[in-house]
Amino acid sequence: MPHLDAGYNLARWLTRDVHDAEDVVQDACVRAIRYAATLRRDDARAWFLAIVRNAFYDWLARNRPAEVVHDDDAIDAAVDDAAVDPARAAERIADLRDLADAVAALPLQFREVLILRELEELSYKEIARVAAIPVGTVMSRLARARALLRRSPLLSVVTRPMTGSGR
Amino acid sequence: MKCKDAVRLIDAAGDGEARRLDAHSLKRHLATCRDCAARSAAAAALSARLRAELPRHPAPDALRARSRDLFATMQAAPRAAPRWPWFAGGVAAGCAATLVAWFVGTAAIDMRDNADVAVEAVTSHVRATLGNHLIQVASSDQHTVKPWLSARLDYSPPVPDMRADGFTLVGGRVDYLDGRPVATLVYRIRDHMIDVYVRPQLPRHAPPALTTLRGFNVAHASGADMDWLAVSDLSADALAAFADALAHDAAQR
Repeated sequence: MPHLDAGYNLARWLTRDVHDAEDVVQDACVRAIRYAATLRRDDARAWFLAIVRNAFYDWLARNRPAEVVHDDDAIDAAVDDAAVDPARAAERIADLRDLADAVAALPLQFREVLILRELEELSYKEIARVAAIPVGTVMSRLARARALLRRSPLLSVVTRPMTGSGR
Repeated sequence: MKCKDAVRLIDAAGDGEARRLDAHSLKRHLATCRDCAARSAAAAALSARLRAELPRHPAPDALRARSRDLFATMQAAPRAAPRWPWFAGGVAAGCAATLVAWFVGTAAIDMRDNADVAVEAVTSHVRATLGNHLIQVASSDQHTVKPWLSARLDYSPPVPDMRADGFTLVGGRVDYLDGRPVATLVYRIRDHMIDVYVRPQLPRHAPPALTTLRGFNVAHASGADMDWLAVSDLSADALAAFADALAHDAAQR
């Protein structure tokens, strides 16, 4: 299985747990064998990542149904809640030790596009195919993910020179 | 270019997704606008930090080994497409042959589907055993296991008490078979664990009563409008008898 590492990495970031990630990837392997016929030669990695993602959402529905959010409005609401109240956002991320924790704390739909882009280095088009959303949604979710991260105090080193040097 | 347009382009350009012309105008804008240049630098810095600091988790060796086994199991299973060499000469019998092919082909597809289900059942039994999540509800009481399963499925599986035959109910779980969630009863006899997949009977569904895959036996029985698929390393005869007894017992109620 050539893309097992990529698949496991994605599952690990989605489930945020070693064992759950293993379960998800194992399920994905079973599916990959069954759906081998649907594989197009050129994009095996994106194809397998899409299977891992589907396996993950099925796993999520079975094990943590409360976390399944179907529409973007609900995500926006969850996020804007923190956006209008910076104190709450700061509180939410104040305890985080490093950037990885900040990413792990992102809402699922933002986390997945960010991981696919930054770690798996997929193109917008590939991400759109893996996550079954339009390219425009990929872009807006990526932008939201990054905006949320930039708000983290962990990144103040990055953001401060920008406001400082402007004057 | 205005800042408003530049801001929209900065991410895409950083991701290598901006069109060439756009990337060019953005570059020109950044050369003259300090705010946007700072925004662009911040975006690049964030991306660089994410790539440098986020751990990439490689697949654990155990998972790698298991996925290799999984592939071996699945590929060993019969999956051959039907071939009908005698078709070649039978041009005159075209119409008849088409009809025959349709019947035989459907049967062949059913056969293959059934083989797939057996493979899936074994795979999920092995996975549950290895992953140690054989049981989601642990109880030897059928009146605990049955409602637990009913609450999670759109049907209510019978949970026969088989203690008289030496089989102890140890619990149940919801597993996936054939793309659907399915009730799974777990029985034990001596050191053998038995997974029993119970699902509403499907039309045109007649799997072989007994299959052996990679040392695991898969026994099938029907009863009480349900389809009973028992998977275990128990001997074939004993498992087949157990599956029949289950279905029979359930039908008695």
